[in-house]
Amino acid sequence: MIKFAGVSKYFNNGARVLKDISLDINAGEVVVVCGPSGAGKSTLLKTINKLEHIDSGEIIVDGFSLQDSKTNLTMLRAEIGMVFQHFNLYPHKTAIQNIMLAPMKVKKLGKKEAREKAMSLLGRVGLSNKCDVFPSQLSGGEQQRVAIARSLAMEPKIMLFDEPTSSLDPELTSEVLDVMVSLAQSGMTMVVVTHEIGFACNVADRIVFMDNGEIVETGTPPDIFVNPQQERTREFMSRILHIPINNTPVEG
Amino acid sequence: MDGFIELGRFLFEQLLNWKFYIVGAYPKGPLGGLALNIILAVITIFIGFFIAVLFGLGRTSARKYIHYPCSAYIDTVRSTPLLMILFWFYFLLPVAGFRLPVLWSAVVALSVYASAYMAEIVRAGFLAVPKGQMEAALSSGMSRLQALMNIILPQAFRMMIPSFVSFFNSHFKNTSVVYIVGIVELINSGIIISQRQPNRIFAVYIFMGLLFWIVCYTLSYFSRKLEKKLGILDYESYKPEIYREDLVLVPLPKAVKRLMVTQK
Repeated sequence: MIKFAGVSKYFNNGARVLKDISLDINAGEVVVVCGPSGAGKSTLLKTINKLEHIDSGEIIVDGFSLQDSKTNLTMLRAEIGMVFQHFNLYPHKTAIQNIMLAPMKVKKLGKKEAREKAMSLLGRVGLSNKCDVFPSQLSGGEQQRVAIARSLAMEPKIMLFDEPTSSLDPELTSEVLDVMVSLAQSGMTMVVVTHEIGFACNVADRIVFMDNGEIVETGTPPDIFVNPQQERTREFMSRILHIPINNTPVEG
Repeated sequence: MDGFIELGRFLFEQLLNWKFYIVGAYPKGPLGGLALNIILAVITIFIGFFIAVLFGLGRTSARKYIHYPCSAYIDTVRSTPLLMILFWFYFLLPVAGFRLPVLWSAVVALSVYASAYMAEIVRAGFLAVPKGQMEAALSSGMSRLQALMNIILPQAFRMMIPSFVSFFNSHFKNTSVVYIVGIVELINSGIIISQRQPNRIFAVYIFMGLLFWIVCYTLSYFSRKLEKKLGILDYESYKPEIYREDLVLVPLPKAVKRLMVTQK
């Protein structure tokens, strides 16, 4: 579904953000990307829908190369939903207008049709009663659920999550994670940047650990959390789990 | 004391000339006076706005062949006095073969002047919209133009309105410059009146000032009300990704105190 082949990206000052990334993500797979801040996780995610350009290598999404100038980028982006750390809801539009906008503008759906669809999506994320409310009147967790519904409105084949719960209170985190879990169970291809270990253990098919712009290690959740092969992975995991990792087994 | 009463009487006397101050020689001759200032300001702001959107957005473009011409236009106009621009269009256009009526050369000059300043307002408003808004719109499959029209500009314009109103205020006063090419707007009306009543020149200039003041004050009064009404946008939920305490504005006494501490 998504294929990275030797992807590198440099900043203007010559620093490398992504170093020779190669990764295959299959349809229906849930991949969690984790690693310390500045590791290039978000950048990696944004290259999938070309919000970030790459300097060398190739990314193939759903059979289309992002580096091929013949690829219809807007069509491809419509198939890739994205959820952001800071929600990025449109503040001048109500919750339901946020969801209706892209289907009406991109898919040319009628207003009535778009509204029905938006209502059912709001129901799916448990917010049917908040349809005519502006984002500023919603809590963080509610905003993020609306943002997820907004991405789902385009019926994407792939969903990207860029630290969807990092700016939320712990209580609000679970309501967003619930939506993501049900999405994963429905067979959606998902790439998730997150530090939610519980989510990663339960839902992820594979964990990708990144540091300094390169993939250090990939493996199933037990592999990465309980039995990491690389020193850097072990160090990071023991820090975020607050336990010396080799002595205590983690349920996964 | 007697002087003040005298002045008051003279000012009151100027009310008899109200028609000439407000519309110039209008029914018999061309429109002039305060009405001409207002019309000039409104028309040139309107024309300037469309040019400003083009150049302001052009300046934010990453493409160099768009960015540099737009920057050059804005910076050239902004670093030239309005009077100079007026003279260019008044003296140079006829030389170049364009024979514009005097009033139209004033309209062109004022529009050009307004467009450069408003382009900077447009640019600032555009840049004030968080970057994530564009990313969200693009990731949902919208084209750059669709994102601009539906997401970015509606938010940006709302933030620009206070700046536009305050620019309109100063632009309205700037229209008085066109008296120099012989257009009878408010200042020139006053000059004509003072030539007929040379001993009332002091009262005439105070009266003109009062007229400008009334219009500008009313405008800024309503703009303040408008700002309160438009304050519905809430960027609380957009936390800046990098938070630096030294970039946050602090009240002046506190800032001074901090400075003293770091000096030690």
